[in-house]
Amino acid sequence: MSVEPRVGIAGVGWSGFTPTTANVSYKELMFEAARAAYLEAGVNPRTDVDSFVCASEDFEEGTSIFDEYLPDQLGAVQRPVHTVASDGLFALATGVMLIRSEIASVVAVEAHSKASNVVSHGRVARFALDPVLNRPLGVPALAVAGLEMQRYLHASGHTAVDCEDVANRNRAHAASNRRASHAEAPAGADDPLWEPLTVGQTADSVDGCVVIVLAAEDRAGADPVFVQGVGWNQDAPSLESRDWDRAAATARAAEQAYARAGVTPGDIDAAEVDDTYAYKQLQHLDALGLPDLDPARVNRSGGALGEGYLHEGNGLARALACIEQLRAGEASTAVAQSWRGVPSSSAAVAVLTRGGA
Amino acid sequence: MARRVAVIGAGMTKFVRRAQETGKELSWIAGRAALDNAGISLADVDAVCAGTAPDAFDGVHRKGDYLADGSGAWGKPYIRTFVGGGTGVFVPIQAWYTIASGMADVVLVLAEEKMSSCQPHPQGAFLTIFDNVIERPLGPNLLWIFALEMQRYMQAYGLDKRDIATVAVKNKRNAADHPSALLGQADITVEDVLASEVLAHPVQRLDVSPISDGAVALVMASEEAAAKLTDSPVWVQGVGWNLDSTYWTNRDLAYPEYVENAARMAYDMAGVTEPRKQIHVAEPYDPFDYKELHHLEGLQLFDKGKAPEAAAAGVTARDGDLPVCPSGGLLGVGNPIAAAGLMKIAELFWQLRGEAGARQVPGTPERGVAQAWGDLMQVGTVVVMGTDGGPSTTATRQGTPPIGPRATPLTDEAFRSAAGAVDEPLDLTYEWDTGEAMGAFLEGMRDGRVVATTCAQCERTLVPPRVFCERCFRPTDGWTEVEAVGTVETFSICHVRWDMVALDPPEIPAVIRLDGASSGGFLHKLDEVAPDDVSIGMAVEAVWKPVEERTGSILDIAYFRPRHGGEDR
Amino acid sequence: MSRAIHGDLPVRFRYTPGVANTSFFEALRDRGVLLGSKCEACSVTSVPARMFCERCFAELSPGVECGPGGSVESFTIGHVGIDGEALDEPVAVALVRLDHADSVLMHRLLGIESPAVGMRVTARLRPQAERSASILDIEGFERE
Repeated sequence: MSVEPRVGIAGVGWSGFTPTTANVSYKELMFEAARAAYLEAGVNPRTDVDSFVCASEDFEEGTSIFDEYLPDQLGAVQRPVHTVASDGLFALATGVMLIRSEIASVVAVEAHSKASNVVSHGRVARFALDPVLNRPLGVPALAVAGLEMQRYLHASGHTAVDCEDVANRNRAHAASNRRASHAEAPAGADDPLWEPLTVGQTADSVDGCVVIVLAAEDRAGADPVFVQGVGWNQDAPSLESRDWDRAAATARAAEQAYARAGVTPGDIDAAEVDDTYAYKQLQHLDALGLPDLDPARVNRSGGALGEGYLHEGNGLARALACIEQLRAGEASTAVAQSWRGVPSSSAAVAVLTRGGA
Repeated sequence: MARRVAVIGAGMTKFVRRAQETGKELSWIAGRAALDNAGISLADVDAVCAGTAPDAFDGVHRKGDYLADGSGAWGKPYIRTFVGGGTGVFVPIQAWYTIASGMADVVLVLAEEKMSSCQPHPQGAFLTIFDNVIERPLGPNLLWIFALEMQRYMQAYGLDKRDIATVAVKNKRNAADHPSALLGQADITVEDVLASEVLAHPVQRLDVSPISDGAVALVMASEEAAAKLTDSPVWVQGVGWNLDSTYWTNRDLAYPEYVENAARMAYDMAGVTEPRKQIHVAEPYDPFDYKELHHLEGLQLFDKGKAPEAAAAGVTARDGDLPVCPSGGLLGVGNPIAAAGLMKIAELFWQLRGEAGARQVPGTPERGVAQAWGDLMQVGTVVVMGTDGGPSTTATRQGTPPIGPRATPLTDEAFRSAAGAVDEPLDLTYEWDTGEAMGAFLEGMRDGRVVATTCAQCERTLVPPRVFCERCFRPTDGWTEVEAVGTVETFSICHVRWDMVALDPPEIPAVIRLDGASSGGFLHKLDEVAPDDVSIGMAVEAVWKPVEERTGSILDIAYFRPRHGGEDR
Repeated sequence: MSRAIHGDLPVRFRYTPGVANTSFFEALRDRGVLLGSKCEACSVTSVPARMFCERCFAELSPGVECGPGGSVESFTIGHVGIDGEALDEPVAVALVRLDHADSVLMHRLLGIESPAVGMRVTARLRPQAERSASILDIEGFERE
């Protein structure tokens, strides 16, 4: 298995990360983030970027074949562009594959959220449930989170208080993140949603866009952050047969990412993991082999709970936070992990390093 | 160093109008057939690459997740890619880079579509492919864009509808030899096609491929893994893909540049310098008969405007100089969008191994090209496959030929009365921020003005306005207005609604090229003109609604009508 | 200042249950039994019955009657609906592992004051005349 060429981060850009972005369309949101990323990477997308990969889902946008609406604002017209129908970290992994297959040297990866434009997220999430076996019950997808949290607490020995601590700590971290919108706990934080899940343990949506420019090592600039390894995995999609005790897909994705990166959990000194719900952070840390990682080094950005939940962009938001921490010298080997929210059982993991790891 | 990648097995379901099977079950049928054909088990698969077109067909959000178990992805790395109709030929490209990059040695590739779930007609899913601000209020249906493109293609090259119709005949006859085919007809004629109902002029019913349910699967492997599993791998020699601008009303639809770009990318990689000589069999995407020809030209296999006469002369017949769609294509086998594209790759696999049975093209074809298209007349996906010196067709292989394809077709009556069927509306609603550019445009509409932006570097005036110039990727420099007058770039006479209910009088959708905007134009409708009097190049002017009826919408222009005293182009 | 445009996706769906679910639903409606399928290679029994094993891709057929008793693997009490609105009455939902099955069913809990992981429950079916080949032919699960 080839590990050459190494893949570096040449540039990053972001826009939004606020509950609403009423003055801009999704195209304008993407244009802003893309310009910033290309500027930092020192590339002209019309000539220097070989391939573009975006992550989106039609029903989140309200447009069928949303892929159509990507190229113009990314500088990708009449270029190789494609969409992965998944979280942005899967698009990042795809960018790595394009570079390692040598069909591209520079790849732009994008994901965004215009969550404020969706009238009812509950209805969108519910449409992901099996239409014949699950939807007729008439319960929201959030019920799956309640079931999952209850089972996880039962199987792991963690408590609801542990989950409260996660939420409080992430919000405290978010206070130093200029992107964060939710450093304060929401009103009615203790109100139950689907027990034992509470309002305060559930991340609120934000709009925003993240663009990351990946490059083969010789194009990535001096002392870049490297994507040392990536992994992704799928557990049973059906509620009936998935592993309810643990984040199985995260565990397998982590195994692959660590193996490709040539690291073990002991080498990880920063983690940005999915915390769409507070219990998920604990569950994902377990799956990543990082149950005892110093909490000060977990979701330093505040995670989705503190920064805001970027929907399909969440994985890239986590990667962005890792990149910033690595560039600031706050870590040398970071892991970014994403999930997709209920009722999904897929996950992606990326190991990011800097400084000749 | 990137590794070589081969296709080592293929399988598919029958393509049917309405399948009893769920999308998961359809995927499994195809996936299982492909594994059996390759002589491997699911445990041998390292990763799964899936492709399926809009979620609005099957009616499941995150359709990729939903299909994962039927796609063999339990506990495996799994990604769904999605480029509209181009997906079926993109997904083997996805598998190619998954293997070439070293991430996997053996990949199961799946493409599935269950369009029948979408009611009252699967075409309804296409209502929402159009721009949410400037197009959807007009109620455009899918037939419009094909008709507009077909019209422009025919007019640009002076094409004869008879020549185009020969493609439908060729493919539907070819499909009679395909065991999965929904619409194979051994005795169809050009007269049948030309006599069929006009849906949206110039598109007639038999120009169009049928909506279907189905799934197709491949097994692809690295060179090392393939060597252990087969003596006759079919190599992926080149891959290419390309996406054109969303602003399709600013583009010339006569020629698919994005298909040419994708083809060149694939040909360069494959070392193909003279495609017409070096490609021995072609499977371009044929959702409509004219599209096969349009795409053949984009693929550099015929000169611009020359594919129709070649088709009429028999060049593209199975026993012709360059066999095209020997499978029967979408027109004949059926069009479950993503699966249909992958069906073309499977066809090349079987053709190049001499396993296509009654569909086998004569001689020993060594190299083929498959192509799919999609999005808003925008994306080209191309794969070049070859035997790299000839297969060993007589050597024994571990696998078995594909078993007879399965799917359980439901009659209309059985579909309506199926036990356990669940009916549900798609009750999702949105409030889309129109943003700076389109917000200004809509305000302009209310005032009876067409607002545009300008790019000084490219010397372009942009309608619909945007804050970026997509050509030079600079922010646009300023705002301006243009008069609501222009010429008809292309048009159609549409006799059916999106749910196939008859429209009388017909609608006349048109792309209006605005006089004052070099890259400016939008979709609208014509009125105050008889259908027979409409022509490409005709001068038109907007008829605005009375100011008190305007709401800040593209519909503040009620329609365009012929402009007397205006200059036709 | 930008304005917002309203939009929707104006289609509806008719989902056929599929080959395997049809067997399950017909057996539920006509005989009041819960049919699963067993993969012999994986030793995994799934209910509702499946056409194929997701782990090894073997073809399966329905044939294992599961339940009606089972144990609660997890449960949750819901206070908000699909649009986030407060529910008039809390709703109790559980994952139930039916006897003889390895998979779970998500369904309602009926009249259970204090649900607990591990408790025994049993399926309450609607009267046969009211069953329509639906997952709702099971009214829910009550204390065994």
